[in-house]
Amino acid sequence: MDSRRITIEPITRLEGHGKIEIFLDGQGRVERAYFQVPELRGFEKFAQGRPAEDMPQITSRICGVCPTAHHMASTKALDALYQVTPPPAARKIRELVYSTFYVEDHALHFYFLGGPDFVVGPQAPAAERNVLGVIAKVGIETGRKVIAMRRKLRELMVLAAGKAVHPVFGLPGGVAKPLTAEDAARFREVAGEAVDFACFTLGVFERIVLQNSSYVDLILSDAYTHRTYYMGMVDEKNQVNFYDGMLRVVAPDGHEWARFKPDRYLDYIGERVEPWSYMKFCYLKGLGWKGFSEGAESGVYCVAPLARLNVADGMATPQAHEAYLKYHGTLRGRPVHHTLANHWARVVEMLYAAERMLELAHDPELTSPDVRTLPAAVPREGVGVVEAPRGTLFHHYKTDERGIVTGANLIVATQNNAARIAMSVEKAAKKLIAGGQVPEGLLNMVEMAFRAYDPCLGCATHSLPGSMPLLVQVRDPRGAPLAVLRRDSDGSIHRE
Amino acid sequence: MEASTENESGVVRLLGLGNEILADDAFGILVAHEVERRFQGRIEVAYSSAAGFDLMDHLLGARRLLVVDTIVTGRAKPGAISVFTADRVQPAPGGSPHFLGLFEVLAVGRKLGLDVPKETIVIAVEASDSTTVGGPIHPDVQSAIPEVVELVGEFLANGSLDDPGPLA
Repeated sequence: MDSRRITIEPITRLEGHGKIEIFLDGQGRVERAYFQVPELRGFEKFAQGRPAEDMPQITSRICGVCPTAHHMASTKALDALYQVTPPPAARKIRELVYSTFYVEDHALHFYFLGGPDFVVGPQAPAAERNVLGVIAKVGIETGRKVIAMRRKLRELMVLAAGKAVHPVFGLPGGVAKPLTAEDAARFREVAGEAVDFACFTLGVFERIVLQNSSYVDLILSDAYTHRTYYMGMVDEKNQVNFYDGMLRVVAPDGHEWARFKPDRYLDYIGERVEPWSYMKFCYLKGLGWKGFSEGAESGVYCVAPLARLNVADGMATPQAHEAYLKYHGTLRGRPVHHTLANHWARVVEMLYAAERMLELAHDPELTSPDVRTLPAAVPREGVGVVEAPRGTLFHHYKTDERGIVTGANLIVATQNNAARIAMSVEKAAKKLIAGGQVPEGLLNMVEMAFRAYDPCLGCATHSLPGSMPLLVQVRDPRGAPLAVLRRDSDGSIHRE
Repeated sequence: MEASTENESGVVRLLGLGNEILADDAFGILVAHEVERRFQGRIEVAYSSAAGFDLMDHLLGARRLLVVDTIVTGRAKPGAISVFTADRVQPAPGGSPHFLGLFEVLAVGRKLGLDVPKETIVIAVEASDSTTVGGPIHPDVQSAIPEVVELVGEFLANGSLDDPGPLA
């Protein structure tokens, strides 16, 4: 078959990673599309032979974007490995730090990162779809408010976790140091401000997005809708929990398909390698891999804010629960299948994280000096799972009896979402490509499709070149380029 | 307070970006360590493995900033050095919403009136591999370390750096 190949790749330090490839059939129609998740090579080999206790530091260093999530998942994996339960105060300190991290991460995401698509708007010229466009839309005062909030949250992280960027406080069976009464008082003060800030942000969302019918139409549009399964962590009442709980999976019609302890993940999640890609696609084992398809028969599922609000019966805090009800009410019930609703779900979660921070900061047990249960058991194997801001994150280590790592497995959020991302890219491409013609609008539509998932493209990229032009390459079956469509960092589009 | 308007401190800072456990990505960190050793007291040195908005913390409070990092243009040999000023790069939406680069963070800081550097010069070295955890550093990238340290010395002596032209 005459199969032609289109490649869209960001020109970053991670060349060859995080790129989109589109295969055309003999008639020049889109046959298949996929998004290549950047994968760090060699992690397992690097981990082997190292003490398991080093893993929370090592894994938090491999990702420059959400080190706190890796640190937390890794620390929980060590609890399991050494079969220790942290004392209540340690558990609360961990969840407090994690909630603080969530408020910051979700706030930055909403305002500065997702903003180019949502706050500025998908129809805006490419040259305005950047952080400066976001500030122009929300106002400089709001921008300053975000920065001030961030600074206070990060000061709290340093107070409790030693470092804001790469926390050093998680230990098997607890945390490195207790919180003082002064620390707790500062947490209470900032948590109160964080709740106000999250409510303010919900208001911004309503004003800019919900009151604009073209945005709402876009959220509900078929182009960004897939009826798949969803997975996320819930507490005993099936409410969202980021730090600990059971993993719940709901079917496309919303019924509970599975609810399991995270350490049983291998019974539920399979990884499929496609011959044309080095990446792995996660799927639900009980349903099996039925290709890149949606519906109740397909094992494709997704994670992240949209999924978490779909699997949960509610939020554990009052104001967030109210926001949850409004979200599902407006989007016509549960589950919500519209990928772009992730942006709204994120703001609801930010309010939950802030309220949870406030609850924990008022807990008298928080300042107990008892923050460590010393490990005594012989280590063998441990799984640690948390909800990272971008979705469920799995850390799994095997060790010898001295605690030296013999095997390690990580599933990051984007791997869970990989199949659905591929489906979204394909949908966008199919709408635009006909007879082998590749229109310029493809770049924006396809980019919107994968940006909605907030893929972990940032893993290992730090700063340069800072701008990310896109390149579409149309190739013949032998791989020779037929045409190139390039969008530069200033938004201009060129054909070569 | 972050939201001051003008920075008159005169602080000159070098910011090494990268990750010591990711092969060539160690470059910026290794240069920062060497600069700290060689030019102690003459330049403030910072380093970071963070991405996105976290970079803001390293931009505030310096009047002039030298950033050392790796780059993959795919159009130059590993170890090739590029020097350019930050104002030559435009902010872009990026391939992922949570990817926010140095230049976007600078632009945000400037727009919000934060205390970001008046001048930012980037020294970038072409990398061959920045994604192998625990991977070796390419010999040509390794040998660019003393060259870049010399460039920093030149900057400290002359107060400027020649821009050798467009990005490789």
